[in-house]
Amino acid sequence: MLKLYVCVACEKVIIDQDGVASLIGLFNKLTLTPQKNQEIPRNAVAPKEWAVFSAWDTEPGDELKEYLFCLQILYPDKSQFAEIFKNKMKVELNKRSQVKTMIPGFPVGQPGFYTVRNWIEESNKMVAGPIEFKMEVEILKQEPSQN
Amino acid sequence: MKYRCPVCMFPSLPYPPSNYHICPCCSTEFGNDDADFSHDQLRGMWIDNGAHWFFGNAPEHWNPWMQLLNAGLGTYVPKLFFALRLQTNASVAHPGTGNFAHDFEANRIENIPIAVAA
Repeated sequence: MLKLYVCVACEKVIIDQDGVASLIGLFNKLTLTPQKNQEIPRNAVAPKEWAVFSAWDTEPGDELKEYLFCLQILYPDKSQFAEIFKNKMKVELNKRSQVKTMIPGFPVGQPGFYTVRNWIEESNKMVAGPIEFKMEVEILKQEPSQN
Repeated sequence: MKYRCPVCMFPSLPYPPSNYHICPCCSTEFGNDDADFSHDQLRGMWIDNGAHWFFGNAPEHWNPWMQLLNAGLGTYVPKLFFALRLQTNASVAHPGTGNFAHDFEANRIENIPIAVAA
């Protein structure tokens, strides 16, 4: 059974050839300043790539199973943003299993606290998690020009 | 087999984008619309008209901007924001790092070989 070691959102993940992960820019808030008089539509997405990195301790036998890392993003009103991201995990005997899920944009259609929910599935069943954390989106008002 | 629309990047076309098939997402009729306009131009028109789903109900949780981003076409996503800043709502503790940094720096400097001009 996989056991959570770490699960975190960040701007960038670099994994070197030995599998050593470096996490760049751990963040939990996006602050946005809209263009002047710009309405933000409900389905707006900021084209800012980010990532969720997670690592899991394994036990003998896990390498024989097919695990999927799943990631779901919920708007502040708890409705779901986009499809659930699913990544096949690579599990090897006596090795920690690391997953990097790249997300090419961040939903910004509602200000407030978004939920990032992560879990692991085996044969369409949740076998670890869910692990949840919040990400805040703040939309600042554009100050009127002084000129 | 699924095909990707070369205009809106919808990844689940049931038919190849040719032979007058119509994309249910952006409404492009392949062989007709793309005879007069390039795929880039048709994409621009679809976006300018709001990037709405064309035929029937959109797939659950469908988002046109994620569709473009997933296909590497982030430049087509409207830039609604003047500035975007990543932040962390966190306090930071650095216990002991001041002393460690001082010692480390001192040791490091002592070991640097110095070339002396003759």
